[in-house]
Amino acid sequence: MSKRVGIVGAAVTPFKARWYEKTYYELAQMAAAEAMADAALEPGDVDAAFFAIYNDIFQRTCIPEHPLQGIIGLQNKFGLRVSNGGATGAYAMSAAHAYLAAGRFKTALVLGVEKATDCFDFMSMSATPEVIKTIGWSGDSFYEQKLGWTAADSYAEVVLAYMDEHPNDLKPEITARISALLSEQVRTNNYAQRQFDQVTPEEVLNSRTVVYPFKELEICVYTEGAAALVLAEEETARAISRRTGQPVVWITGVGEANEHSFAGKNHKIIGRIISHHLAAHRAYEMAGISNPLKAIDVVEVHDAFVHQLEITMAEMGFVPHGRADSLIEDGLILPGGEFLLNPCGGLIYSGHAVGASNIMSAWSARNELIRRKLKTGLVHGTGSTVAQYGAVLILECD
Amino acid sequence: MSTKVIPPEAIPDQGGYTVSIEGKDYLVMNDAMFTFYRRSMGEFSDFFLALRDEKKILGCRCTSCGIVRVPPFALRCPECNFAPTEMIEVEDTGTMIATPPITYFANSLFQKQVPFGRGRILLKGADTALSINCYTTRGILVPGLIQRGTEMKVVFQDERIGEITDIFCVPAAELTAEQIAKKGLLSSELDWERAVEPQLPESTAENRAGFEKNLYLLESLVAEMNECARARADIAGWSRVILVKSAGGNFIMEIAGEQLKIKPEFAAEPDFIIVCPDLEVLLDGLGYRGSLTQAIMKRDLWISKNSEFTTIFKLERMARSLARSKKE
Repeated sequence: MSKRVGIVGAAVTPFKARWYEKTYYELAQMAAAEAMADAALEPGDVDAAFFAIYNDIFQRTCIPEHPLQGIIGLQNKFGLRVSNGGATGAYAMSAAHAYLAAGRFKTALVLGVEKATDCFDFMSMSATPEVIKTIGWSGDSFYEQKLGWTAADSYAEVVLAYMDEHPNDLKPEITARISALLSEQVRTNNYAQRQFDQVTPEEVLNSRTVVYPFKELEICVYTEGAAALVLAEEETARAISRRTGQPVVWITGVGEANEHSFAGKNHKIIGRIISHHLAAHRAYEMAGISNPLKAIDVVEVHDAFVHQLEITMAEMGFVPHGRADSLIEDGLILPGGEFLLNPCGGLIYSGHAVGASNIMSAWSARNELIRRKLKTGLVHGTGSTVAQYGAVLILECD
Repeated sequence: MSTKVIPPEAIPDQGGYTVSIEGKDYLVMNDAMFTFYRRSMGEFSDFFLALRDEKKILGCRCTSCGIVRVPPFALRCPECNFAPTEMIEVEDTGTMIATPPITYFANSLFQKQVPFGRGRILLKGADTALSINCYTTRGILVPGLIQRGTEMKVVFQDERIGEITDIFCVPAAELTAEQIAKKGLLSSELDWERAVEPQLPESTAENRAGFEKNLYLLESLVAEMNECARARADIAGWSRVILVKSAGGNFIMEIAGEQLKIKPEFAAEPDFIIVCPDLEVLLDGLGYRGSLTQAIMKRDLWISKNSEFTTIFKLERMARSLARSKKE
């Protein structure tokens, strides 16, 4: 029988557009040290490291995790790097959960880090086009990269196909309101890249089109930073909880799915994100959740794009397909609504330090569960071309 | 002249600079990770050779279930316990399976190609969709021109090298029946609308007065931008001379030395031209009350070189930076 696994410590570094002052070595060490301190542990107490680093090119090295093993004090111990596109962090948490649940270790550190904006385009004399190019190497290398594939245009494919099916959903005024709402929520996240960048729906509507249909203020921003969790199996977790005085936040459900990357008959259904549907429902089944809207108090969904956030919420069963705008229109995510959605401001305002992002989301969900004395949370990650990857974790506070 | 796999202008000089933060210096180095390849196209060679040499599109048909995959990305069918497939030719016309996205802000290798569409075409005879660039022959690509179900024709580049970019597609409605029927239609056989500078309305006392008023407001706005460190950083290392033509008169916008300047029209050749019949459109874009990109998409504003979207984005970024700084 598998063991229960819980989160007993968590930390993030500030997420910044540019960390001139730190390399990814020190960012990783900062998050690791603070997460261990949060769990009242020292490196000698941690059995294993799970590194969440999306992209070798951002770090400007292959095997970017190898220096980190010693830097975080876990030399001569288990270390495994996970790289699953945007869902890297969620998959790393899933992997750590599996090892602990299987009894291989008593404690594990999940450590995500990304240094995205060292990349620089000397033609436009700006970083962003080179950051996008770096991610562009993630497209299919035979058939898509040379067409100008980007993460944005690949997610836009899914969004536009959804809008073909549901022309009255994902209305511009609703996506603008969601972005504006997230910009208000980010105020309380002291670690966010855009903590004080509050915008109005009108400003979102007036922001430039980057890739149709996405506007600038509907897209996550690339960030540099790190995030870490300490996970422990039940007996160890309870002992740590007694020492720290913080409740254990249990991981009661985990689910993942990766779709086909090519579209067509018996392949990817381009207007759906089946990976998110399957990942969520597998996690619900494991956690014994039948109605997520009733059962879940706080959702930290990976908002690469506002439109995708809305579709994901439909895929995960919070709103019907074709009625995702009810998140706002029925007040589900407005203050006093049915549940909290991305109280950290999401990746659109907190920033997207890719490998660290979903771990930051788990840090936020844990904070909210403990601080507000809530019961159940959900953390979600999406990644790869056409939102191919999905991973979901259900968290429950003691 | 041969084309390099890396644009020479993308390659920086060796060296670095220092950034000072709170009294401490940090070293920032120009650098690159580069690896060159002689990459085998392996089992995909038939597909790319057929594009290059025969102007044909191949797919693979499962000998068990009959599904036709285009491109032929799996030569044994995973749905049929890896049954073998056979290569077949499919047609070069089909429909978009969904409305294709349009990229206006591209990655650094595609800045000069914007705006471009990339969508998935289901070619006649195929069961899976081919990822492909979508263009219009009628000027700038804007939303609505190509949608789910739009009939498209695959067009071949005149000079092909065996890459997926040897082909692209255009709406069949823009072609003649003969062009649609022709196998291996070449890009040079299309009637590409050339970028023609729009005519401005005749200058009147009224629009000259409007021009003077808006120019004054523009100068005030630009002065604010130049005072804003965040906005200045958006044009660091960038220089452009832009001739702006509007109904009431012309002027120069110059980007140089982290400053945006408004100057009277002068004789020097501009880097590009903006035609903006109503100067208020430019003013709204720079004042963060509208978007220059959206104005171009709506044809309220015209630029003489699409590659200068890069400069338009920098100007839009300045607008947002000033708006952000004013709030703080």
